[in-house]
Amino acid sequence: MGSILNQVAAVTSINLRSIMQRRWLSLSTVIAIALVVMVLLAFLAMANGFQKTIAGSGADDIAMVLRGGSQAEINSTVSRDQVRLIEDGPGIARGADGKPLISSELYLVVDGLKRTTRTKANLPLRGIGEQGAALRKNVTITSGRMFNRGSNEIVVGKALQREFEGFEIGNTAAFGATRWTVVGVFEAGGSVFESEIWADLPVVQSLFKRNNYFQTVRARLTSAAALNELKAYNDNDPRLKLDVKSENTYFAEQASQTSDLIQKLGWPLAIAMAFGALAGALNTMYSSVAARATEIATLRAIGFGGFPAFVGTLAESLLLAAIGGLLGAAGTWLIFDGISASTLGANFTQVVFDFKLSPLLIVEGVGLALVVGLIGGLFPALRAARLPIVTGLYAS
Amino acid sequence: MNDFSLIRKNLFRRKLRAVLMIVSILVAFMIFGVLAGFYRAFTAGEDRAAADRMITVNKINFTQPMPIAYFNRVGTVDGVRQVTYANWFGGYYQDPKNIVMTFAVEPTTYFDVYRNEFDLPADQLQAFIRTRTGAVVGEKVANKWGWKVGDRVPLSSNIFTQKSTSGHTWDFTIVGIFKGKADHVDTNLVLFQWPYFDETRTFGKDTIGWLILQTTAPENNDKVAKAIDAMFANSTAETQTDTEKAFSKAFASQFGNIALIVSLVVGAAFVTILMIVGNTMALSIRERTREIGVLKTLGFSGPRILRMVLGESVLLALLGGLPGLALAALITVTLRNSLANVAPAFAVSPDIVLQGVALMILLGLVTGLIPAVNAMRLKIAAALGRG
Repeated sequence: MGSILNQVAAVTSINLRSIMQRRWLSLSTVIAIALVVMVLLAFLAMANGFQKTIAGSGADDIAMVLRGGSQAEINSTVSRDQVRLIEDGPGIARGADGKPLISSELYLVVDGLKRTTRTKANLPLRGIGEQGAALRKNVTITSGRMFNRGSNEIVVGKALQREFEGFEIGNTAAFGATRWTVVGVFEAGGSVFESEIWADLPVVQSLFKRNNYFQTVRARLTSAAALNELKAYNDNDPRLKLDVKSENTYFAEQASQTSDLIQKLGWPLAIAMAFGALAGALNTMYSSVAARATEIATLRAIGFGGFPAFVGTLAESLLLAAIGGLLGAAGTWLIFDGISASTLGANFTQVVFDFKLSPLLIVEGVGLALVVGLIGGLFPALRAARLPIVTGLYAS
Repeated sequence: MNDFSLIRKNLFRRKLRAVLMIVSILVAFMIFGVLAGFYRAFTAGEDRAAADRMITVNKINFTQPMPIAYFNRVGTVDGVRQVTYANWFGGYYQDPKNIVMTFAVEPTTYFDVYRNEFDLPADQLQAFIRTRTGAVVGEKVANKWGWKVGDRVPLSSNIFTQKSTSGHTWDFTIVGIFKGKADHVDTNLVLFQWPYFDETRTFGKDTIGWLILQTTAPENNDKVAKAIDAMFANSTAETQTDTEKAFSKAFASQFGNIALIVSLVVGAAFVTILMIVGNTMALSIRERTREIGVLKTLGFSGPRILRMVLGESVLLALLGGLPGLALAALITVTLRNSLANVAPAFAVSPDIVLQGVALMILLGLVTGLIPAVNAMRLKIAAALGRG
């Protein structure tokens, strides 16, 4: 047993040291595999970043109330009567003054200009109630101040300010005939709210001629479990019949559509490219076996078995693939990780997000590389193991 | 034996190697075909836009409404041949997931403005004008749900509420089915009467989504746009008028830089095969050094050897590339229906094939160039002496 292991170790080390003799061919395989991994990881990092931004926006103990079947805030409408009924609903936390902690909101789309492409983009302008900012996690004004209630002032999310033009503090933003002053910039823990513009609800209602018009209601629940009480209350009142869900659920649904789509594009593309790289890997490994035919036959003639030749060739292929995979992951990390992008989300407005590579994704990428290396090495390794000694010795 | 059969024999002397290279080239061209087809279909709106058609939207954003009164006022602007309007309905059939693109429109003018795109039989158009609760459906929608003229179909809205029932569903009678006048025209939509819609909804009365107008000639576009936007300046609903092409382009760009993503992926695929094939070609020519020496001894000139090696690499690129494009065409046909909303008329068009073939020849020449030049310059004595 020991001798087999020794043989395997010896042949493997000969194999690996001979890679330099085929450096160009080996290098092309490594780079081909690296590119495949980069394409895969770029897509996965995009999907992951988008998912993190949206899915990280919701909380379990915030209830969201939308019109039945509306699916997104932009489509929803809730009447003033319905808002009042919800205020009286069960399971809703109350502040020190006894008022329910809710924010009825208006979600409008306005035009902005994207910095990088100088093209028009749909931006969300959200009219929020008194509790609006407090109902969201980690909202802090990083510069300037919060808008004054009753005035046409806006605060903008950090991501929105970075991606789109004209939202510096002190600027006037014109949405149609209405004029607004930018008075502050806020952070919201990297969530989708950082891609929004916030203003006082009554001001938005009156300047956009939407008096008595609401789109969604957010409410702080006494606990995550209290959601069911509120749901039952809603279902039993024919005047409501709205969709009540936790904010977390709402955002999870929103994130899945787009990030699924990105992943569904990324995997088939990467797998198709992997077939191309596999052809390259097979080619390289067959050439390696052919180049070492004499050497393998000599080893066999002096008593080495076929198995060490098999392992040696496979090890060479896996090593090349692993280097390619890691190179690809490093390349993705250097080029794509953290870059900011924006796309249209489910609410028909721009969602700003960063590409985010994660250890799990790197494992997926390197895993794909190793699969290519395994298949690319297997058949050439079998040939090496079965090479008839005489043919090998007369090769070249 | 002519040069071509020599090229062919050379290429396939190591069958496995040739097959592997063909596979990797095939994959690259398959990716190229599919992505180029997708990109074309995705941006089709801007390419196919009629030059004399313009869109007027609310200046705040195209999702904001404007008064119906704008319809008549825009009609009087000098240089406007015809104007119509539409309102997004947010339609779905039975389940909110079954989205049906539905617009409330003015029947007569709508089918006049889109007369070069949609084909609705004259009697069905008359029925659409006469029937308040009538709807006309595009051929694609009709086929998808198996709807026929005369069917009563309930369509729900994820935005609006029906006044009389307080529900979200409107009942329509299908009075016509329209076809596209060309392959690229997307008929994945349903149209019904705006007056009926406006009377039966609970909010948003007397407003429309956008105006679509046709100018008397494309040269008048700028003048017309300025006149319209000036007419509504400083009102509560200011407007923005653009050509249909500019509007589609701006909308497509909202999804992100699709062009950049497509070219990066195609670029990565090509760099991959360029290296694999280039290296393998170099290797296979090096293995044949002696033979090339023999050919030269037999009187084959340097340029003739060069042509033969280049011919071999171009042949290889074509053998991989052409089936790759064919496979891409097959994939686009299979995926066409599921991508109908994002990229209608998803296909490998003739110009993509042409670009593809040009790329194949280029790839063949680039991968074969260095080995070919080396082979051409090879000295007979050196070649025969080697190995």
